[in-house]
Amino acid sequence: MTGLSKARIMDRLPYLGLDIEGEGAESVRIEYNPNRPDFSSDYGIARALRGLVGRETGVKKYRVAKGKTKVFADRSLAKVRPFIACVIARRIKLDEETIRQLISMQEDLHNGLGRKRRKVAIGLHDLKAIVPPIHYTGKYAEFAFTPLGSAEPMTIRDILDKTDTGKAYGHILAGKIASKTVYPILQDSVGTVLSFPPIINGDRTKVGTKTRSLFVDVTSTDERLGNEVLAIISCALADAKGKLETVTVNYSKSQVRTPQLAPSKMKYDHELATAMTGLRLSKKDAKACLKRSRLDIDGKSFAVIPAYRVDILHPVDLAEEVAIGYGLDRIEPSYPPSSELGRFDQGVAFLESLSTTMTEEGFNETMNYDLTDEPTLYGKFERDPGSKIEVDNPRSMEHYLLRDSLLPSLLAVLGRNVKSQYPQKLFEAGKVFLRGESGVEERFRLAVVAAYSESSYTEAKMHLQALVKKHFGELADTAPSTHWAFAEGRCAEVVLKGKGLGHLGEVRPKALANFGIDMPAWAFEIEVPSVKKKSA
Amino acid sequence: MEKIPLHPIERKVLSSLAGGPQVFEVLVTSSGLQADQVRRSISWLLTKDLVTTSEVSTAQVTLKAQPAELTLVEKLREGGGEASVALMRNVMGQDREFSAAMGRAVSAGWVEVKEGITGQKLVLKSNEAGKALKDLLSQLSVPADESVVPQDQKGIVADLVKRGLVQRKETKSITVAITRLGRGALESAEQVGFEMLTPEIIASVRTTGVDAKLRPIDVAAGAPAFYPGRRHPVKELIDEVREVYLSMGFSEIVGDVVQSAFWNFDALFTPQDHPARELQDTFYVKGEADLELSRSGIVTRVAAAHENGWQTGSKGWRYLWNVEEARRLVLRTHNTPVTLQAAKDAEGADARVFSVARVYRNENLDYKHLAELHQMEGIVIGEGMNLRHLMGILTGFYGKLGMSGVKLWPSYFPYTEPSMQVMVYYDKVGKWIEMGGSGIFRPEVTLPLGVKKPVLAWGCGLERLLMLRLGIEDIRELYNNDLEWLRERKEIAGTRDSV
Repeated sequence: MTGLSKARIMDRLPYLGLDIEGEGAESVRIEYNPNRPDFSSDYGIARALRGLVGRETGVKKYRVAKGKTKVFADRSLAKVRPFIACVIARRIKLDEETIRQLISMQEDLHNGLGRKRRKVAIGLHDLKAIVPPIHYTGKYAEFAFTPLGSAEPMTIRDILDKTDTGKAYGHILAGKIASKTVYPILQDSVGTVLSFPPIINGDRTKVGTKTRSLFVDVTSTDERLGNEVLAIISCALADAKGKLETVTVNYSKSQVRTPQLAPSKMKYDHELATAMTGLRLSKKDAKACLKRSRLDIDGKSFAVIPAYRVDILHPVDLAEEVAIGYGLDRIEPSYPPSSELGRFDQGVAFLESLSTTMTEEGFNETMNYDLTDEPTLYGKFERDPGSKIEVDNPRSMEHYLLRDSLLPSLLAVLGRNVKSQYPQKLFEAGKVFLRGESGVEERFRLAVVAAYSESSYTEAKMHLQALVKKHFGELADTAPSTHWAFAEGRCAEVVLKGKGLGHLGEVRPKALANFGIDMPAWAFEIEVPSVKKKSA
Repeated sequence: MEKIPLHPIERKVLSSLAGGPQVFEVLVTSSGLQADQVRRSISWLLTKDLVTTSEVSTAQVTLKAQPAELTLVEKLREGGGEASVALMRNVMGQDREFSAAMGRAVSAGWVEVKEGITGQKLVLKSNEAGKALKDLLSQLSVPADESVVPQDQKGIVADLVKRGLVQRKETKSITVAITRLGRGALESAEQVGFEMLTPEIIASVRTTGVDAKLRPIDVAAGAPAFYPGRRHPVKELIDEVREVYLSMGFSEIVGDVVQSAFWNFDALFTPQDHPARELQDTFYVKGEADLELSRSGIVTRVAAAHENGWQTGSKGWRYLWNVEEARRLVLRTHNTPVTLQAAKDAEGADARVFSVARVYRNENLDYKHLAELHQMEGIVIGEGMNLRHLMGILTGFYGKLGMSGVKLWPSYFPYTEPSMQVMVYYDKVGKWIEMGGSGIFRPEVTLPLGVKKPVLAWGCGLERLLMLRLGIEDIRELYNNDLEWLRERKEIAGTRDSV
């Protein structure tokens, strides 16, 4: 397709933004970025590759013959899926590989630009089975036809309820019309159903290796997007040696010819392009670069952009095309020296110093997930989950509640390590999430836990005071208190300079038992004042 | 002779026994140890044949009442050594007792019966009669060991015991004796030195000026494991990354985990129907929204950038922007909202900032996916900053993290243009590795926030690098907090270049 050696292709693919995912003897599996839907077929990739290596540059011209085929779009679909754009590709040679390419392109376009067929759906048909004109019209759920892959006719309702694609995509059509739902059907003049977009094609117009002429329909909720998708398909079909022919779509008050393959124009800002890339290029050099990216510059300093390039929104996108056309691997990096001195965040630095102290006292740092589950956070402490903060639709049933304390995760770690040597002395410095007046409040905390046979409240206080004295300059007061994590009568509030800082105590026996810990443990958790500057 | 090692307690017991066998209770007192310690020590010493034990029975005898025959002899002696049986019967009182006493005194050979004028009379045979028994019994007025009874009197005492006049109490006790082997072990232990230095020994060294010898020990023997406190490996690498950023003139920033969709997506020019915004990829906070967010100021300009490009020169995404979608709260999917807000807050000044913090993705956990991981992101704001500078910074940054090569490929992110994928060469694994993304913020991102200078931006996951460093295949291992692993794993600093 490109006339290039495989080694050369492999070398250049990444510089088009294509990731090589796997490699066979005669093939490469590649992944492309969503901004380049024109890479959804080998034809699009080959087109770009020929440009990048300079074999064929500039905007490729596509010849489209004026056709006589007409499509009538019914007003009843105005609120369902109003737009349709079509193309005919004659005398195309469809072998197995080409069909596989087309189907894979169709799937990619459905999922990407088409947003899982919600915005755009594509139908490929054997033109021979169609008797124009074609009607894009609304039908009720009782309407029946033989869908692709079925031996018998089925009603629309059955297709939606019983087929895989009906179940997967039926929601797109649901609830569009309040009273009596109409469904979009594409049908020819003798009643042959081409497709029921965006669900399924008809069986009669099915494409195979004997197909010589293709009819393509693109239905959409967004006319521009439909045209863009059709342009991408049309250019690929033309590259596959199909002779393109227009189709006229008649709406109730207007008429359009599709596909629309005329290149668009955007002002080329040479100053911007050189400033952004850092390349000292003449305008002529820049034009050569753009041509390698299969773009061009016309006589009036406008960039010429082919219809399949739907990603060019702004002159900065042209600047990138200059860089890509130049070759990113040819651009010399340049380190910009800084006159600034970096600073650590004071809050993080403070947390770091507390953590260092804990390791000096012989404690092991652990890191646990911010998201946990209800048994860990509430159930094992028998406390009310009333103020839990939950995420929607979690995939993992162990990670869906934002923790409001670090202690549960630390006890869970003790519970998982009962076979390890005691004493077990652990800490964690991290964030907790609390329900505050202004929504979710985030705080930095330090939590410490120690399990061993002689662990006691006194030991807890000893370690707490050592830490507090070192980092806050004075000892804390410990006032009798209660807390869900601690045994009654063995729990105190940590008060520093008159302000509550957290709690310490001996861990409630029931909680130890619930976490499967056989060893007594003490713990404390204190708030770490953050010195963070609040963003306006 | 082979040296037999002695525990300090064993040594004390043996030296107490050096003077001769001791009953257990005595040994406890003489050794100055506790009964339990002595008991345990003896069982060990027995297994080493350093002591023997024997069980001995001992009895104590105590006088309860004097035998009547002795009283009879004493009375007779008081009466001049001779008296009629009738008189004596009268003096002694009870008739039955007297007959028995008289019979015993006669058979003991103390008195004899003679016929007198007034009938039978009792005559003391010797002035010493009964005295030996009297002396013996006086010793038994307090409890005494049976061994004090002379051989020839044993029968008499046994008889007295039978008659209930002497009480006999039997006890069993353990006697411990040092063996020859024990003496040898003790001597050699005393020759080789002290088991453990004590303040008392040091004091005696000070007064005598003679150095104290310590018993040589097996220095190759195993010792119990000791585990110092350690940081978590993820934190160790974060610290390394922070130092790298600092050395390149970057300042650290910290931001909220819970962000509005506006800052996480919209302000970053990510269209509202972008797949990354779907529930299945992003964590939305249930039932919460940023209701203060409304179409004014920055929000209006960002909305316009989406809808028509606003004044940025862009076509925009050309759809109807919805404020409700922007109000939803998400757990940040990257740190770019945090660095972006810092770019806005810089208010036109040049700046270099970074953030190494957690990001959140709605994932099922498996060997290569976590729902929470760390990203290290940085931005540079400055007049004239361009793609070559971005390449220079990336090469420097990853170079300082130990990567010997950096390759940049075109890529795509909704919020940067140009965008580049960063590939790094890591000698340790000998291949190129994908290491995150980079780019220059789009005008649709910067201009609505009032940021007019170019902003270079990049970021990458931290765990991936850490896995390479530690040679870990399953990403979940990093957060299992397996204590054995946390205690015994390699130090991160030492994993940089080693193979």
